[in-house]
Amino acid sequence: MTNHKGNFLDLLKANECQIQLDLPATSGNGAAPAIQETEGTTVLAVRYKDGVLIGGDRRATAGNVVMYDRADKLLQIDEHSVLAIAGSPAMAYEMARVLEHSFQYFRRSQLQELSLEGKLRTLSRLIRENLPMTLQGIGGVIPIFAVYDLLNEDENGGKIFFYDALGAHFESADFATSGSGSVWIRGILFYQNRWGEKPLADMDEQEATVTVLRLLDAAAEYDSATSGYNPKSNIYPTVKTITKDGIQDLSVERLQEIYAESVETTYAR
Amino acid sequence: MLDEPYRWLEAVNNRRDYIEDQLRGGSPVVGLRYEDGLLLVTIGRGQRKTFEVHDRIALSAIGHSADIERLRMMATDTASVQGFQSSVDDVTLHRLTNFVLGPTIKQSFEAIFGSAYIIKMLMAELGVRGEGDGFVALNYDGTLQSNPDREVIGGTHEAETAMQNYLSAADTSGSSLTDSLQLALETWVVGWELGLQQADADSDEDANEGSELTTDKERLHEVLRDELQTGEIEGAVLETSRRTNSKFRLLTSDEIDTAIADWL
Repeated sequence: MTNHKGNFLDLLKANECQIQLDLPATSGNGAAPAIQETEGTTVLAVRYKDGVLIGGDRRATAGNVVMYDRADKLLQIDEHSVLAIAGSPAMAYEMARVLEHSFQYFRRSQLQELSLEGKLRTLSRLIRENLPMTLQGIGGVIPIFAVYDLLNEDENGGKIFFYDALGAHFESADFATSGSGSVWIRGILFYQNRWGEKPLADMDEQEATVTVLRLLDAAAEYDSATSGYNPKSNIYPTVKTITKDGIQDLSVERLQEIYAESVETTYAR
Repeated sequence: MLDEPYRWLEAVNNRRDYIEDQLRGGSPVVGLRYEDGLLLVTIGRGQRKTFEVHDRIALSAIGHSADIERLRMMATDTASVQGFQSSVDDVTLHRLTNFVLGPTIKQSFEAIFGSAYIIKMLMAELGVRGEGDGFVALNYDGTLQSNPDREVIGGTHEAETAMQNYLSAADTSGSSLTDSLQLALETWVVGWELGLQQADADSDEDANEGSELTTDKERLHEVLRDELQTGEIEGAVLETSRRTNSKFRLLTSDEIDTAIADWL
């Protein structure tokens, strides 16, 4: 029996267990893909007073068809990390699953937690292995990875990382956005953070949530692949906080309240 | 010469003696159900002895540390791959012990030209919605024994019986973590002392049968105090109320200190 030194991907390969991300590229001829891929999203993460607040819309589309209106794009990977996915759900969910199992396998086999750097590299490797699919125009995933780093010496251990299609990771000091709706809100976030009433880092949970929900609403206004909130079906965006105490979902009741107080009222003015 | 059946039997029996000799000094492990899940307790000397195998499965063992490591990795690898390939719900202790670990241990035990695993394992599984909780003890010959509420492994068969007897005299259902931890530690002493006494009797054949060991609580606590000069209490739980999918955690030093505070 070989020792995989905690590397779950190597363990899977040794067991001839293929993951979706390993699919070989077909011979691409540069033409547009023949199938309409399910995609479309807005996800964003902001660094606020207690850590990271992360939000995502619920829509999955294929071309101009709405495939699903209850997609959850914020995936908890371990007690202090969340992967916010944008792009092809098939690949993104698989990536999240591999990531979750990788971190667990490392902890269980090596009897210590995988370091933050190690976690970031694992995700890099997954994105890089997915490159053939990305180059074909289907199956691309550009996620945001948000964590609370307990070893951080700073008072606030919230950290946000974003990736490019080749798997390079970058740390963002204040916020990150991804998905087709992100272009509409990136500039607003910059403006808000620099000249708004308060920088994002000083906001409490309530203020950060209001900001994130308003931005998701703005993205839904301009991007057909992003859904707003839908009170008829009781569908709200998902919002999670990552703090030193772990990950918390904001309840639908709480989101309803905040919508009524701070998102809808501004329309009425 | 080993093609004669009785020679083979003799060789296997020699092996049994040899392994039992090796295991004699092992620090027992006690597994107990408590109000919020399952508890594994032992006293170690530097080496960690309780491990997380999967979301709802924990492992502890006595024996040669290299053998423990090999089988622990086998269990962890198998559970991890199965959990990923289909679902974490398909990873069960029964599948691990009966289809993977048991046969492997038996095979190496009876392959008399190879090396046998010097090991006894105690595994625990937290069921779903309160059903299917339980412990499985694996012996060095691959046989296994299961119990939904309590199970022990110790250096000798007699030590295990004495621990079982001590445990069954107590009512453990619905006990708090502290109470269960105390009971587990007392049980540990019962098994540990008997194991030591047997080892002494073996090394000194002329000695009389060892004095009768009593299970007077005061005395057990005293022995424990002495043992803690060199050893360290190690405990792990599979905790039902834990919010994450993974139910395993090691006990904190606070929890351990609370349990033994009155005995020190």
